[in-house]
Amino acid sequence: MPLSHPFRLGLYLTAVVAVTLIHQPAVLLLLLAGILLLSGKGRIALALRALRPVIWILLLISAGYLLMGWITGQAVLAALALINLRVLVIALLTVWMVRDTDLDRALARWPRARRWLVVVRGQMQLFRRLVDDYRQAQKSRASVPPTLRQRYLGSAAIGLAALDKGVHNAELVTLAMRSRGALDE
Amino acid sequence: MHIPDGLISPQTYLPALVLAAPLWWWAGRQFARRVGDEALPRLAVFTALAFVLSSLMLPLPGGTSGHAIGVGLLTLIFGPWVAFLGYTLVLLLQALVMGAGGITSLPVNALAMGFVGAWTAYLLFRLLSPLRAEVAVFVAVATSVLLSALLVALLLGLQPLIAQAPDGSPRFFPFGWSVTLPAVLLPHLFIGLAEAALTVLVWRHARKRRWLPASVSSTA
Repeated sequence: MPLSHPFRLGLYLTAVVAVTLIHQPAVLLLLLAGILLLSGKGRIALALRALRPVIWILLLISAGYLLMGWITGQAVLAALALINLRVLVIALLTVWMVRDTDLDRALARWPRARRWLVVVRGQMQLFRRLVDDYRQAQKSRASVPPTLRQRYLGSAAIGLAALDKGVHNAELVTLAMRSRGALDE
Repeated sequence: MHIPDGLISPQTYLPALVLAAPLWWWAGRQFARRVGDEALPRLAVFTALAFVLSSLMLPLPGGTSGHAIGVGLLTLIFGPWVAFLGYTLVLLLQALVMGAGGITSLPVNALAMGFVGAWTAYLLFRLLSPLRAEVAVFVAVATSVLLSALLVALLLGLQPLIAQAPDGSPRFFPFGWSVTLPAVLLPHLFIGLAEAALTVLVWRHARKRRWLPASVSSTA
């Protein structure tokens, strides 16, 4: 039976808190395997997506703590396994929830939060697109890479233009939402 | 300076949640009272800008990351309560969309960067308002970034003291203050200055476009 989106969100929040109460690496390893098994098709992509944002932080912590253990002669492997596995399990749970839960539907009971989320998400895409457009335009018009000063000036100009465009665009979205009755709460 | 999920103990994030929840509720009330439909698009744009600013991250040896925050800018334009709420949304989106920060660490990150950052910027800006406005913005934002970083470093360094296994090994973040304080604070000294300069630039633009509230415009 498919679970409702608010229920999935609630389940995810409960699971994340529960994972921080588990302190046995073997249990966390089992959980990690279980999530990968249950997440179905695309599990490798899911695992890579979970790993990407945390890998450098985990590597830095692990390398630093291994070095500290080596210097002080302390056994650090069990603690490192616990910390790494816990971070990975939560990261995997998060990307799984994001993939299989529609946040718009999960937030259906809170229309203002939902509206804010929609507009902010739209703006983020707009900013990303503007920055990409600017980079491509700069690449296509110059045979040599820009100097640091040119980059700063260019970034400032594009940033302020993006702000103006963003405000204008968001006002249009709000007007459109209002005309369709989306703001009548 | 986001703290990821899994590095913060329940002994830290549960009290932080108890502290943050009524503040979020109160901020929500302030938001409903102060932000009308006409200001919402602008708020969304500046929230998105804060998202972009704090998404450009560099992992730091202290177990966190270095990046601009953007909460000072939100504060100067919308006030500290709305900025706190807006930045909480930024943190939530970053946790869900980019995997930066996290859900259990959300109250800790929101309090350190959103609440403390916003109120530091707001109070310092008010205090320094007799000075040239750009100087007040610069000092307020740079100090707010540093203070938030200090709080994050203190909370991270606290973990090995409060969450240990019976054999004394850490269950969450393993390094103490001797590592977290220099590792988090030193990079944020430069990040704070860069963010303050950037905020002055955008703040001047906002003033030119008359996006600032009357109370801030009158001090500028």
